[in-house]
Amino acid sequence: MASLESLTEDLLVRIYKGLASDADRKSWRLVCRDFHRIDALTRSSLRVLRVEFLRSLLANYPRLDTLDLSVCPRIDDGAVAVLLTSRGSPWAFPRAAASSLSPPGRDPLAWTRGLRKLVLSRSTGLGHHGLEQVIRACAYLESVDVSHCCGFGDREAAALSCGARLREVKMDKCLGVTDVGLAKIAVGCGRLEKVSLKWCMEIGDLGVDLLCNKCVDLKFLDLSYLKVTNDSLQSIGSLPKLEVLALVGCSLIDDTGLQFLGGGCPLLRVIDMSRCNGISSCGLVSVAKGHEGLVQLNASYSLTECSSILLRCFKDLKNLNAIKIDGARVSDSAFKALSNCTSLVEIGLGKCIGATNLGLMRLVSGCVNLRVLDLTCCHSITDAAIFAISDSCRNLTCLKLESCNMITEKSLYYLGSFCLLLEELDLTDCGGINDTGLEYLSNCLELSCLKLALCPTISDKGLGHIASKCRKICEIDLYRCNGIGDDALAALSSGCKKLRRLNLSYCSDVTDRGMEYLGQLEELWDLEMRSLFNVTGVGLMALAAGCKRLADLDMKYCENVDDSGFWALAYYARNLRQINLSHCNISNMGLCMVMSNLTRLQEAKLVHLNKVTVEGFELALRTCWVRIKKVKLLAALRFKLSSDVRETLHSRGCKIRWD
Amino acid sequence: MSSPPSASASSSPPPCPKKMITLRSSDGATFEIEETAALQSKTLENMIHENCASTLIPVPNITGEVLARVVEFCSKHAEAGVDDESLGAWDEEFVAVDHTTLFDYIRAANFLEIPTLLDLGCQTVADMIKGKTPDEIKKTFKITTACTPEEEEEVRGENQWAFE
Repeated sequence: MASLESLTEDLLVRIYKGLASDADRKSWRLVCRDFHRIDALTRSSLRVLRVEFLRSLLANYPRLDTLDLSVCPRIDDGAVAVLLTSRGSPWAFPRAAASSLSPPGRDPLAWTRGLRKLVLSRSTGLGHHGLEQVIRACAYLESVDVSHCCGFGDREAAALSCGARLREVKMDKCLGVTDVGLAKIAVGCGRLEKVSLKWCMEIGDLGVDLLCNKCVDLKFLDLSYLKVTNDSLQSIGSLPKLEVLALVGCSLIDDTGLQFLGGGCPLLRVIDMSRCNGISSCGLVSVAKGHEGLVQLNASYSLTECSSILLRCFKDLKNLNAIKIDGARVSDSAFKALSNCTSLVEIGLGKCIGATNLGLMRLVSGCVNLRVLDLTCCHSITDAAIFAISDSCRNLTCLKLESCNMITEKSLYYLGSFCLLLEELDLTDCGGINDTGLEYLSNCLELSCLKLALCPTISDKGLGHIASKCRKICEIDLYRCNGIGDDALAALSSGCKKLRRLNLSYCSDVTDRGMEYLGQLEELWDLEMRSLFNVTGVGLMALAAGCKRLADLDMKYCENVDDSGFWALAYYARNLRQINLSHCNISNMGLCMVMSNLTRLQEAKLVHLNKVTVEGFELALRTCWVRIKKVKLLAALRFKLSSDVRETLHSRGCKIRWD
Repeated sequence: MSSPPSASASSSPPPCPKKMITLRSSDGATFEIEETAALQSKTLENMIHENCASTLIPVPNITGEVLARVVEFCSKHAEAGVDDESLGAWDEEFVAVDHTTLFDYIRAANFLEIPTLLDLGCQTVADMIKGKTPDEIKKTFKITTACTPEEEEEVRGENQWAFE
């Protein structure tokens, strides 16, 4: 039989490009030298986990167009300087020696010319020097993401403005950036098409005005939570190509401002004005009337009610796909008007006062193409409404019924019979749900996210039904489901191999046996297991050894886990990024092992560790201060920790929260 | 004497003869393929447009066995009125062959520039690789060259710790 190697390189590249998953690509590169070379020549995107590998990876992957350093600790000015020197500096990063697998003579800086997208979000250690160096080196960079670098200010904005070819800038939560910084970016990056400035509270009308004057190609603008006024909307109205506008939580905006918008931005398709207290139906009418191409309108928690004029306007919007009017008062006639918008695919009616069975039945009789429906806290709806919804909207993929406590197993029967494409179902706090209902629901084989928090009436049996049939489940929430125990975890471990996110907090019947079952879930990535008194070190060890991908662990109040468990965690759980150990009985040594061994750990909550002394905290923090980004400590420690530790943490950009 | 019946309106005109192209494989066997089916191959399409297709076209890299099947593939895909589902099922059967033959199909599709067959073949191989460990891939596809133990360890380390 011929070997795969007999095919030429370009054919092998084609086959490589057909590989769907990251795991397959990783297997491919381990097969032989030729395959490794093909991976190196073809891979276009890299998310680096550890800075020691960064230089050799960049030297070996010349065709990268996307580089994601957001989960890589220790990205700072020094690291950038090393990366951008053309000679290797072996003393800085021991692994930087050229890999024996890469051909000699390759230019180590070739990656800077190919890079188009750079993700530096949460790189709190980086300063304006380093940022400017990397922006200048990557001359063809089109997209940069520095969101959540909370210390970033105008100097960093000036560094970004060196990227003349930039089309996309994400600066959410760069709290220090003011109008001055934004002005520099507007002047330096004239080709900008996508700008996100969520929570950059120092930015105001002046900066926005300049941005709109200079960057006329803007298509996407996010100014959520900024203190901008109607003047900004006047400037935004002048943007000829704007398609998506987000103004969530902009409380200083009112209907006058919306009128400016109504007369401008001819290509507007998506507008998000949720949580804007100053606007009303009147303002939205002017927006809707001016933009017949509107596709998505989000006014959650902004309207007290939906006027009939506004509802009539919706009918004229032929492309309208999604409406969210959570929190508004709606009447049965409002639903009748909405039912005329047959193009609707998503409707948000969370906490809507006046949502009744009759109204919903009217709604779904017209909107048969609905795929996403949010009925959170619509307390008065019953099984009759769910019957109408399932019968009319056969393509339903996401249904949110949190706190709809009159729903019973009958509703799940209807869903299991008619809505076989259902992927996401939220039944949080639905007291009427039981095991029989879950058996009916298990017919929805596409189910991937199921929320059953605060449902005390379900037990291992019900979950067993779901686990045996719904193989695509990725996320389950069982917060405070008292009836759940080890057998449910046994069922999940054998049936739901793709499980990534699990919440078992306060399911106190779970013991070490259950943890062993969880250890068989190889894809588990996010686990919340607060207050599981019956779990000991043995259980934690089984979990850590099995779930190699675990990145997020919350074990607050797990008081019976002893050090043997924490040592195992420190040894096995190498992918852990976030941990909550508050109120656990970990010792000084245990804490030190965990904080020093887990080199990917970036966020830790360490409140009320009764067995850890001040010296213990000092030592633990010293071992990880090069990479930890966020830590929560008991307020009393503030005055007991040495100033040395506090200052070093602060200078590395680590955020300390005192509880 | 009655005149011979002429082609009257009641009988349909004789169909146009389908233009056939002859291909010769590396081992000398000849195969006929309709012009419409041959258009699936960009190489053959160029030859047809430049009027070089009237004589025998040699296809030196491809054996008779493989060429026969490739001709079958092109003819099937050129057929009118076949729905996507049955064509997909037919394709699946077509590639359910041993690896040697599959690689031959891929090479033939590459040489003759038949995008549908090339994509089908390469995706089939990619799907075979799906979910396998590196050792299983080596075994399945009979790959003999390997990395030295140091290289392998380096790559393994990168896989686990360096990036995702």
